[in-house]
Amino acid sequence: MERNKYPLYFSFPAIIVFLLFFITPTVIGVYYSFTDWNINASTIKFIGLENYKELFNEPRLKQAFTNTLIFAAAVTVLQNVSGIALALILNEKLRLRNLLRMIFFMPYVIAPLVIGYIFRAIYHPEHGIVNKFLDMVGLDFMMQDWLNDPKFALFTIIITDIWRVAGFSMVVYLAGLQFIPKDLIESASIDGANYWTRFKHVVFPLLAPAFTVNVLLAMIGSMKVFEIVMVLTEGGPGYTTEVFYTYIRNTFSSGEMGYATAINMLLFALVTLVGVPVLMAMKKREVEM
Amino acid sequence: MRKKLPPIALEIVAIGLALLILIPFFMIFINSFKGIRESALFGLSLPSTWEFSNYRDVFNQDNILRGFKNSFLLSALVVVCVNLFASMAAFVIQRRGGKFLNGVYMAFIMGLIVPVSIIPTIRLLDVLHIKGTYLSIVMYYTAVLLPFAVFLLVGFIKSVPRELDEAAILEGCGYFRLYLKIILPLISTVLVTVSIVVIVSVWNDFFGPFYLVTDSTKWTIVLQVFNFVTLYSTNWGIVFAFMIVVITPVLIIYLFLQRYIIDGLTAGSVKG
Repeated sequence: MERNKYPLYFSFPAIIVFLLFFITPTVIGVYYSFTDWNINASTIKFIGLENYKELFNEPRLKQAFTNTLIFAAAVTVLQNVSGIALALILNEKLRLRNLLRMIFFMPYVIAPLVIGYIFRAIYHPEHGIVNKFLDMVGLDFMMQDWLNDPKFALFTIIITDIWRVAGFSMVVYLAGLQFIPKDLIESASIDGANYWTRFKHVVFPLLAPAFTVNVLLAMIGSMKVFEIVMVLTEGGPGYTTEVFYTYIRNTFSSGEMGYATAINMLLFALVTLVGVPVLMAMKKREVEM
Repeated sequence: MRKKLPPIALEIVAIGLALLILIPFFMIFINSFKGIRESALFGLSLPSTWEFSNYRDVFNQDNILRGFKNSFLLSALVVVCVNLFASMAAFVIQRRGGKFLNGVYMAFIMGLIVPVSIIPTIRLLDVLHIKGTYLSIVMYYTAVLLPFAVFLLVGFIKSVPRELDEAAILEGCGYFRLYLKIILPLISTVLVTVSIVVIVSVWNDFFGPFYLVTDSTKWTIVLQVFNFVTLYSTNWGIVFAFMIVVITPVLIIYLFLQRYIIDGLTAGSVKG
């Protein structure tokens, strides 16, 4: 049967919507990033590279850039470590296995905005349960103003996001573990391999597909972090937790749309630069499979 | 980890970790019944007096039902658009192929990675004179979620044998009927996955409506949480009650459909 007989127009609704509402904003964004578009001005004027020149002189951009990368790197590592650990625990024959699986995954179905508000209360320096718990168990020297101390704020946000997504990674890894034949592990332990050796040489290599997926998603998703940071710190104190999307939001709120668009374009470039090589690696894997 | 940890110890560790997840939810639940002073202490103890009036105050907000209605309406419309557009496109992308459609497929895959340019989107909607309408926000979400759906569906349609198409066409079946009567039923489980991902994404999203919806009568429930907190942050009891009201329907649905939701959200991402 001829391939060309399949009607091309079937693809048109998807193409039109995607072209108009995804690609067009990106393309016109390039233009608007070269303008002085401002909510308080009636005209939009082309100003060339002015926005970018100003941006690159702003220490705030460097902060947003570094913080976004630190956040992405830390979340990617910690999410995978905690995901694997949880999956290994739940892969044992526990009585409450299904209930636990449900609980660990639960934060993932809640709006990140709401999670942000819950944790704002939890990290409260005087009344929050984190500090109260530390005080109760005699670790009062570890009590911190988690969200207002520049030394801890970014770290606190990272931990909060891990709380939210660890269960998701866990489920992906659990699915991967199902594919590992039991007798393979048994024969390895008969050969005298202990838990760690078994994990390193037998289990982990077989988890590779789940690992790739998890790393990919965590990296790309975490560079686009927004709600959690906005609610917990709004990018502060100072700009110590500023990430791209909070920077865009704060610039947007002051009405500097052209400038905000320029920041948006830089985020676009960053994610593309990191994401495309990773995507190529994924494509290659697909071929191998 | 040791060579052989006794299962009971492992079980205790697991339960301890589960408590880490549950305690924050318990904290807002119990504080949602406390008065203005007590709730500001964010404690885990039972309320000294149970303030059920917090919930009455929440429901007296006349816009809360509208918020639920808006979120529901948007999720439903986006589910229809994404499933329909993506399955039609994936069908011909996989079956027909060719330079043009392969290019389209690559563009969708790029869309999986790159962030949406939200500020220029505001401008675009303005120029199109649809800014702030339901249509604009439905189209925005459809555009954002199409890449994932197309990618997932192309992968699954690959596993539907071409011989089925050939037999159907030989019998005189048209391409539209082939799509509707043969392909769609065979990929219905994947469409459930797509729907779950779409519903969870749209229902919980703050980013899109924050930038694109200015009219408060069109606010989604998550956008209402944001504005409610800004308004009532002096009374945490009421704020927590509002949050409980917002997350309870989600949690109830999650409780009943957990198998589908967990599998759907993770299968969706394993492919995407």
